[in-house]
Amino acid sequence: MTEFENTVAHGLERIAKATSDDDLERLRIEYLGRNSSISQTLSGLAAEPKEKRAEIGKAGNEAKQKIGAALEARAGELAATRMGKLAELEAIDVTFPAPPLDRGHIHVLNQVRSEVETILERLGYQVEEGPEIETDWYCFEALNLPKGHASRDLQETFFLAEDESIVLRTHTSSVQIRAMERLRTPPIFVIAPGRVYRRDNLDATHLPYFMQVEGLAVDEGLTVGDLKGTLLYLVQSLFGPERRVRMRPTYFPYTEPSFEFDTLCGRCGGAGCRSCGNQGWLETGGCGMVHPNVLRNGGLDPDQYTGFAWGFGIERMTLLKYDVEDLRLFYENDLRFNEQF
Amino acid sequence: MRVSYRWLGDFVDLDGLPPQEAANLLTMSGSKVESLLVIDLSAIVVGKVLEQRPHPSSRDPLWIHQVDLGAETRQIVAGAPNATPGTLVPVALPGTVVPSGKQVRDAKIAGEEGRGMMCSAAELLLGEDHSGIMLLAEGKPGQSLGELFPLDAVLDVEVTPNRPDCLGHMGIGRELAAVSGRPMKRDFMPPFIEGEDPPAVDLIKIAIEEPDLCTRFVGAPVTGLKVGPSPAWVQVRLRLAGVRPINNVVDATAYGMLEYGKPTHAFDLRRLRGGELRVRRARDGESLLCLDGQTRRLSPAMLVVADGAGPVAIGGTIGGEESAVQADTTDVLIESAGWNGVNIRGTSRALGLRTEASARHEKGLAPELALAGARRVTALVREWAGGTVHREWIDLYPRPQEPIRVHVTPEKIDALLGAHVPLTESRAILDRLGFQTRVQDDGDWDVMVPVFRLDVAIPEDVVEEVGRIYGVDRIPPTLPGRRHERWTPAPTTRPLETIRQVLAGAGFAEAVTPGLVSSALLEKLGLAERMRRLLNPMSEELDAMRTSLLPSLLQVARLNQNRGRPQVRLFEVARVYLARSQDPTGLADEPLALAALAHTGGAPAAGREGFLLLKAVTDRLAHALSLPLPAYERASDALFHPGRTAAVLLDGVRAGVLGELHPSLGADFDLDGRVVALQLDLETLLGAAKPRQVRPLPRFPAVQRDLAVVLPEGQPTAAVQAAIRDVAGSLLELVRAFDEYRSPELGEGVKSLAFALTFRSPERTLTDSEVDQLMDQTRRRLETEFKAKSR
Ligand SMILES: [Zn+2]
Repeated sequence: MTEFENTVAHGLERIAKATSDDDLERLRIEYLGRNSSISQTLSGLAAEPKEKRAEIGKAGNEAKQKIGAALEARAGELAATRMGKLAELEAIDVTFPAPPLDRGHIHVLNQVRSEVETILERLGYQVEEGPEIETDWYCFEALNLPKGHASRDLQETFFLAEDESIVLRTHTSSVQIRAMERLRTPPIFVIAPGRVYRRDNLDATHLPYFMQVEGLAVDEGLTVGDLKGTLLYLVQSLFGPERRVRMRPTYFPYTEPSFEFDTLCGRCGGAGCRSCGNQGWLETGGCGMVHPNVLRNGGLDPDQYTGFAWGFGIERMTLLKYDVEDLRLFYENDLRFNEQF
Repeated sequence: MRVSYRWLGDFVDLDGLPPQEAANLLTMSGSKVESLLVIDLSAIVVGKVLEQRPHPSSRDPLWIHQVDLGAETRQIVAGAPNATPGTLVPVALPGTVVPSGKQVRDAKIAGEEGRGMMCSAAELLLGEDHSGIMLLAEGKPGQSLGELFPLDAVLDVEVTPNRPDCLGHMGIGRELAAVSGRPMKRDFMPPFIEGEDPPAVDLIKIAIEEPDLCTRFVGAPVTGLKVGPSPAWVQVRLRLAGVRPINNVVDATAYGMLEYGKPTHAFDLRRLRGGELRVRRARDGESLLCLDGQTRRLSPAMLVVADGAGPVAIGGTIGGEESAVQADTTDVLIESAGWNGVNIRGTSRALGLRTEASARHEKGLAPELALAGARRVTALVREWAGGTVHREWIDLYPRPQEPIRVHVTPEKIDALLGAHVPLTESRAILDRLGFQTRVQDDGDWDVMVPVFRLDVAIPEDVVEEVGRIYGVDRIPPTLPGRRHERWTPAPTTRPLETIRQVLAGAGFAEAVTPGLVSSALLEKLGLAERMRRLLNPMSEELDAMRTSLLPSLLQVARLNQNRGRPQVRLFEVARVYLARSQDPTGLADEPLALAALAHTGGAPAAGREGFLLLKAVTDRLAHALSLPLPAYERASDALFHPGRTAAVLLDGVRAGVLGELHPSLGADFDLDGRVVALQLDLETLLGAAKPRQVRPLPRFPAVQRDLAVVLPEGQPTAAVQAAIRDVAGSLLELVRAFDEYRSPELGEGVKSLAFALTFRSPERTLTDSEVDQLMDQTRRRLETEFKAKSR
């Protein structure tokens, strides 16, 4: 009996001094293994007198349990110590740079177009397409721009070689009539993003090809206030809630009344800076209430319905969002530019 | 349109309305003020040129002047020769900054002392003229120019094409009066002038041959006048508006135009031959020496004013040199006519000549303006040059202007604007703009449009007038919404976005390139068959619509290579434009296409790697878009490598081509290495989409086996895989070729292919022996069918 107690006392002392899991494993084998003194004694029980067997057996098992518990406790202590020293033991150089992921990029113009689509789809607009090689009717005539109209000069038009009544569309407004014809019954809420073409010389602020988004809403009782709210929602969603919109009256043949809309300069907040040419506002796009003649040409009754429409350049929007100075960068595709988005 | 703030004061009371505020009001009511220049010339002094001699040694033509500045005489060097002795000039002394921003310093120019600068009109912000030194009408040496040109502001106003009435100070003044709520100081129509004998008809006969193109002709003779400089204050105003003063008669026409927006013309009455004028079409072969010194050939599409011997003016556009007012002129005819805007625009375009007159007339001015302009200019001529105005002016008016009345339901104003504008305010706004509103018994309005406004015709136009003066800022923003009774279900996928995500995820950068390309390039590449050309391209580089995205991407690869970035991976999703076979000159087919390109190294293996990359991209696209698994078969295409090109098939339908580009194509674009490309027709691709099938997870374990076989060199892998699938039957879950190699040990003309096979049963765990049996059968089949040797 004292033999067990001695063994346990000795064992607990050594376990308390163990410094590694390996030490503990060796001690486990020494005290609890098949060849340990406790195991030997227990396996020799048969030789003991019958009346002592139970007593010795009980004492032996208690000794095993004590050793076992001590081993487990010490292992726990050692683990806790290790956790406490993780930083010393396993630190890596977190400043070592990561190899880049082999991922590409979506072009910034398509990112912005996609944002605009997403924002307006939330208001119930659907995307509508129209051809870029378009008839004079859809591009001009039906939009209240008859031949000889002064405003046709404002839009320098590319004509197709074979037939002068076929043009490269100068604006996505050409989709307006097509949308009215296809959808037929208001409410009509559509956006038409796409490429357009104008005979402008290529420089930092002009391109002969660019992208626009047209918006068209036709329903009963639409107002200038609704147009204003829609533009504000779009601009604030794209650029942030602090960006206000102002509408200035102007002239377009296909809307009446007509407005240009400006966005509050994000850099100076309206005080005036270099970015906005000291105006405090950045010209953004054109808009207005759809002209009754246009509704009529789209097969709708202007006495029953009103509509509003707006259009802007995606390049222009991207410029406002990211302060890019040269429009040509968008079409050059120097990847050092494309990869910044 | 350059507008002088002080000049506006002739039409509207400016008290308590500083220039910046006036500019803001104009901008927000539709007359956008592009810039506001404060004209402060107090630091500039008047100099009198005493002496002028050419610079003795300068290579550039320079002149040395002695200039009297009152207290002293200074030597000033200038590059223009027009400051001749006796002229009065504006001088900026060293240390001052001229209004255009230039800092003046003492300088030695080619060895000659220059102690100040004589200024051009442009340098003083008095117009665009920088051709010479501005010559002053009056002033004393040493006097501040600020005394002659009092502090003013010039507003550069962008006038929309529908508002030619705003191409004059009166129109802008009326806008400012309306938006600031102040009354107009002057009536539109100037007072009638009592003329004297003899009546005008005794001095000149006038006829209109083309009443549709010349709708009115007012002719007012003034005789016995004296040509000379116009009053100094007039010259100041003209300068501020950007017009160079000439003489009192010509200046009167310019002044009248800058007030009313109505150009008029003064003929020297005694230089008109045959005592008559006729407005007619020019005859073939006729030409006219114009006021600007150019002789222009005319055509019958153009309207001229002709005297007994030939054209003396191009109608509404420019006068002739020979009939112009000169220093010795004593009798003039003031012409103020109504012209057809479309015709004027055509003439202007055909001649390549846009004058102040044609720029206004081409917008279609109201014929009523002709009389107002004639009265104003005639009064000014008499005031500044003296002379006799004659009675009974000639006024041919074959197409009298119809008054415009618009029926407006006042509720429509609020309904369209989305704001409540009190009726009294609406009426007051219309009144200030010159409209007359009569309220009918039923409450509706009968609105009479002022004669100078031809742009208002429908109720919406009237609403716009009210809204823009009421203030768009005052309209509360709202979002529209009502109960919709029908709708289109939202699309649940945006396949083009998915395609972009997949390509970008695979390391490809999206390019956006122009749809306009060079027809020569497409022709050279054999892509011109269905190409559409432009009638009026701006350059040969951009003269046709593209039929393929590949050339554009190759150009982008070249640009990046030349900028030190070889081996790019690019893609673009865009339309291509193909002439329709049915109607090749009408609308075109504009299918959406996808092109991707991987620019790789020059080794054959690099090309193969690029090929497999694009194939992986295609497979991934098919998965992302829920398409059938693409199949690939050897194909040929003129632009592609004859041995490294595959057709992409979806359910047996060709959706595109994938392969290495022909080495000669890379060379055409100066590209090093190899280029692998993928071209897909998105309409076919998206048309093949099927609902996604989801399989339950397997319940029993799989057995994996590899199979390596030696096959004849030309044996396509796909056929071998198909045979494996055929033999192994339904227990074969997946077979995938994962290695291909050749070596001398294998021998000539053969290759080794390794396949990984996965067997699984949905009902039980497979035993090794039954899989071994399937593997044996597979090997035997490959041996007999493909002469394969197992390894
Ligand atoms: Zn700013």
